[in-house]
Amino acid sequence: MIYSGMLNVLESIGKKGLQSTRSLRDATSFSYRIFARLFERRAYNSAVSMVLINQIYFTAVQILPLFLTVAVCLSIAFVGIIGEYLLRIGLFSFFGRLLMGFMVTEIAPFVTVLLIALRSSSAINAEIAVMKVNNELNTLAVFRIDIINYLFLPRVISGIVSVVLLTCLFALIVLTCGLIYAGFFFNMSAGDYIAALLESTNFFDLIAMLVKSAVFGFFIVMIPIRYGIRATNELTSIPVAVLNGMVNVFIAIVIIEVLSLVITPMIAKLI
Amino acid sequence: MSCRHQVGLVSREAPLISNLSVLENIALIRQYHSRLSRCRAEELARKCLRRLQLEDLAGRRNPSLREEQRFCVMVLRAVMLEDSILVLDRPFEMMPALGESRFLYDIIHKVAEMHRECHVFDYFLNERRYMGGSGHEAENRT
Repeated sequence: MIYSGMLNVLESIGKKGLQSTRSLRDATSFSYRIFARLFERRAYNSAVSMVLINQIYFTAVQILPLFLTVAVCLSIAFVGIIGEYLLRIGLFSFFGRLLMGFMVTEIAPFVTVLLIALRSSSAINAEIAVMKVNNELNTLAVFRIDIINYLFLPRVISGIVSVVLLTCLFALIVLTCGLIYAGFFFNMSAGDYIAALLESTNFFDLIAMLVKSAVFGFFIVMIPIRYGIRATNELTSIPVAVLNGMVNVFIAIVIIEVLSLVITPMIAKLI
Repeated sequence: MSCRHQVGLVSREAPLISNLSVLENIALIRQYHSRLSRCRAEELARKCLRRLQLEDLAGRRNPSLREEQRFCVMVLRAVMLEDSILVLDRPFEMMPALGESRFLYDIIHKVAEMHRECHVFDYFLNERRYMGGSGHEAENRT
């Protein structure tokens, strides 16, 4: 009995392992198909452009009031705390390095992707799941409209563009708050502040930040799309698809963040 | 039916896209396949809506349409495919309140020059509804 129990446990572990491997393989293949299509010129026409413009508006422009509020509040809080603490321990000379190396290259993309994931990823997930349940994906197939070109590509591009641009905007807000704090509270002139920033700027880190933002943008849209199209014909499959999609989006964000922290210094050493 | 021609399907299995307006649903076909600009495709779609005196529906979306209006929009979308074969799949299921086929034949005749052929598929038990029209018989679905 103990032997059969152990066999069952091993079997269930094996099943889970196989399921995860298949899921990872499908996800990789799906990502590759979408990524490859990004560079195909014939995939783009006025219908796709129209969807792309709408998606960029919904993802990057509509979020601006909330995004700016969060960016300003977080920047003020972080810059103030970092500056005060460094001043207290006599290490204010590292202010520029912490702003560039921590706030701009790590906090900016992470907070940006969280905000966009909470808002746009869930909306895209629900939208695709509802289209699947309503048979609208079938409509596109009947009229020979490629769903990757028409539905997925504009959303993926808008995700990448939005995360990258909003990350840059967040970084700008952080640096501006830093300038104000440095001037008013730490008696640092604008010239000294800019010199400290330039000294701490590592071009490779900035490129890594932009690449990380683009990767974030790709996956926080691709994963909800993938779970959306897995909805069945029942209405009750929609919340399940959204739930699974969003959980996997947040897992992906953590994995990408951890991988970037590991891989970036390795590549920097090689260069 | 020649396989070289495109099939413009009007069916409950191919509903209107709910996050697009009526105009955008019709224009989408030409925008995508003929690579027309948005303005040009919407101008064409508006002309088609005018043909069926439905131009006031242009900005509305699927849930706000009546059954007959939805059917007409789906027909217009189907004939947007160039040189299409119009296929109506169980039209009385899409318009259950419709008693007989005169409305159907009116619509088909109004868009006659926009499609190559028209085929209607329906259940045998609806055969009588088609007899009162302009003499065309439906292909029976057994």
